[in-house]
Amino acid sequence: MKLSTALQNKRLGAIVAILIVVMLLPLGLSGVRFAFARREHMPDVFLEMPAPQFADCVRETDYMRFRHMDLLKQLREEFIRDGIRGNESLTKCRDCHTSRERFCNRCHEAASVVLDCFGCHYYPEPDSGAGSSDREVDHG
Amino acid sequence: MDRREFLKKSGAAIAGTSGALGLPLLSACDPNTARSDSPLAGRKWGMVIDLNSCQSDCTACLDACREENNVAFHDDKRWDIHWIRKVNIRNKESEDDVEKSVILLCNHCENPPCAQVCPVQATYKRADGIVVVDQHRCIGCRYCMVACPYNARFFNYKENEEWPNTAYPKRSHGVAESCHFCAHLLDEGKGPACVEACEAGALYFGDLNDPESEVSELVANAPVRRIRDDWGTEPKVYYLGL
Amino acid sequence: MQVEFSKIEGRSTPFWLAAAALAALGIAGIYATYLMSVHGLYLTGMTNRVPWGLQISMAIFYIGLSAGSLVVSGLYGIFGQVQYKPFARIAAYLAMLFLIAGLLSILTDQGRIDRVFVKPFTYLNITSMFSINPSLYSGHVLICIIYLWALFREKGTLTKIASFTVCLWAIGTHTGTGAIFAFVPRELYNSSLLPPSFVAAALSSGAALMILVKVAVFRGTGRPLDEKLVIWLGRPLLAVFLVCTLYLLLIENAHRFYLAESREAGMFFLFGGLHSLMFWFGLIIFGCVIPAILLFVRRTGTSVPWVVFSSALVVVGVLFERFLIVIPGLIHPPELFPGWEVSGTVLWEGVVDYSISFYEVLQALGVVGIIGFAFLMGLKFLPLAPTEAKVLAAR
Repeated sequence: MKLSTALQNKRLGAIVAILIVVMLLPLGLSGVRFAFARREHMPDVFLEMPAPQFADCVRETDYMRFRHMDLLKQLREEFIRDGIRGNESLTKCRDCHTSRERFCNRCHEAASVVLDCFGCHYYPEPDSGAGSSDREVDHG
Repeated sequence: MDRREFLKKSGAAIAGTSGALGLPLLSACDPNTARSDSPLAGRKWGMVIDLNSCQSDCTACLDACREENNVAFHDDKRWDIHWIRKVNIRNKESEDDVEKSVILLCNHCENPPCAQVCPVQATYKRADGIVVVDQHRCIGCRYCMVACPYNARFFNYKENEEWPNTAYPKRSHGVAESCHFCAHLLDEGKGPACVEACEAGALYFGDLNDPESEVSELVANAPVRRIRDDWGTEPKVYYLGL
Repeated sequence: MQVEFSKIEGRSTPFWLAAAALAALGIAGIYATYLMSVHGLYLTGMTNRVPWGLQISMAIFYIGLSAGSLVVSGLYGIFGQVQYKPFARIAAYLAMLFLIAGLLSILTDQGRIDRVFVKPFTYLNITSMFSINPSLYSGHVLICIIYLWALFREKGTLTKIASFTVCLWAIGTHTGTGAIFAFVPRELYNSSLLPPSFVAAALSSGAALMILVKVAVFRGTGRPLDEKLVIWLGRPLLAVFLVCTLYLLLIENAHRFYLAESREAGMFFLFGGLHSLMFWFGLIIFGCVIPAILLFVRRTGTSVPWVVFSSALVVVGVLFERFLIVIPGLIHPPELFPGWEVSGTVLWEGVVDYSISFYEVLQALGVVGIIGFAFLMGLKFLPLAPTEAKVLAAR
């Protein structure tokens, strides 16, 4: 075929290939980032940790550091869809990590990961007058 | 390699990747997400509403539901959400102005059209028969609202500024919702907010699978009716005096 | 037989003005969608009684338009009707753009756009038409791309296969789109005839738009266009589609009207409000009957200006029809208490209103802008339009 049509087809093919790569890129990149996450890559922030008298967290530190969202998601799916509620829940996290500002937000703001949770779930600051984290809820 | 080979190989690579990415689809083909080994299985929650006892000017159940579940109220008929609501109906044929006050809420159908049409299975029927919206998954397409023949489902068009009950989450704008028989209270062994708040004793709630519960006995022996039985949705809210 | 395709010059002022205007509309639409995703969908005219409005109506309108375009393209691809070859590329490209427009319209209408890209595919619900359809549409777009590629490369066999697949897939997609409404227990939605009538209206509007686009592209670029080619699209193609549409609409409404259980809803649809005016005048008389007559009568059916006029009427008529599929079913209340009427309530029981808001219109225009811009750029950078469209000697 003529040179001009050959070049046109190459451009079309290139456009299509670029579109596909662009669409799959976020998937690939997040997989790469997840696989290679290391402590050294964490943002340099100071997290307010609970007082020493509290027992250990529900999982070990490294797991919580990199996989807490998986844990939360798994607990959520189990509870919402099947009603299986163990001892772990978001509200229990609040009992130890009393300040969202000084714990959750520090890393999330540094890493620019938007939190969708707190538009619906209540997580007040412990010193705010509107409500403290130890309100009266009778869990039966 | 020449262009043809390159295109063939990249086409095959893309097809392979799409196929791999599509594997979750296989697991998603079963819309019945209730597990039989969940602690909810075995129960079938139902409600009986006694319209004869219900006082027409009382709004206890309506207020209790709104308070307990942080249901949005903007004082605007377009966007106000009413998980439970009262309507006054008048008999078209009869001569006298007989008006009845009927309480309407999600009927938690056994064959829920809303769960059937939810594209992401965010609305589904739990193992204990309650139709629930998973607010983490809802994409806000509002197909469930279109599919519900009872108009019992609502959408958060606007952000709800108030949070009367901080022990329970509220919903941000962009998701659909409806009554869920206060599932969070049922887990604690209490009844739904409306049932607990009714002073006239017009709301009965219980396990339809338990032959000795109040609701089972009422459904078996009293002249109960459901709204538009003929639709085949098999609602689990029964009415006395409808 | 050779048809030469070439890019349009695309250097004239009207061309750039149009492109700029469309791009501006597109940006305005994106801004309106952004506002809604931040503040909530209360910026539209939709309510708890009318949860679907302009965007969904436009979405199904676009999906329908893509079917007609594909059928025109398929006339060359499947049946080897060489006289339609000059139009095949534009038709396929437009069909792909319309599908993307439909997907965009649905996308911008969601409450949580951030969740919509992955969840409908990983949490697929086989029983939900709204779950099946996006997969159908996306697959459709992919097949259109393959079809376009086959047309560009002049691969005869692949063109035939792709064309055949895409037309079959299109029938499936449009039946599925009709089923979104038909398979739902609402009085004015629940109807077995809705999917076929959706397909018929889709074919009519698509063929009509093809005529309009062809004439616009050729007149706009000054390339010679043999009138017979446009007239062939109108008469008998569009005329036959119009007759099918009318037939199915008639039966659907007659059925609703006839049966006592649906008579009240049928009466409401036919005579109960502003939508009834839209139905009788917008859709039936001006959208189907008058164009059909104009096309069948030899004097007007063989004259390009009249064919263009009829096509414009059909496109607007089918737009009304899409509204009529979505809105009346929602503003009409379900009959919860047969024999009783609702006298007082907090919610809107009974018939409600629906009015379009400014931001909704902006969103819809935004989609028009994006797709129009993509079309103009396609004409300029891809050899879509034939250099001249002549009636080719039959083999």
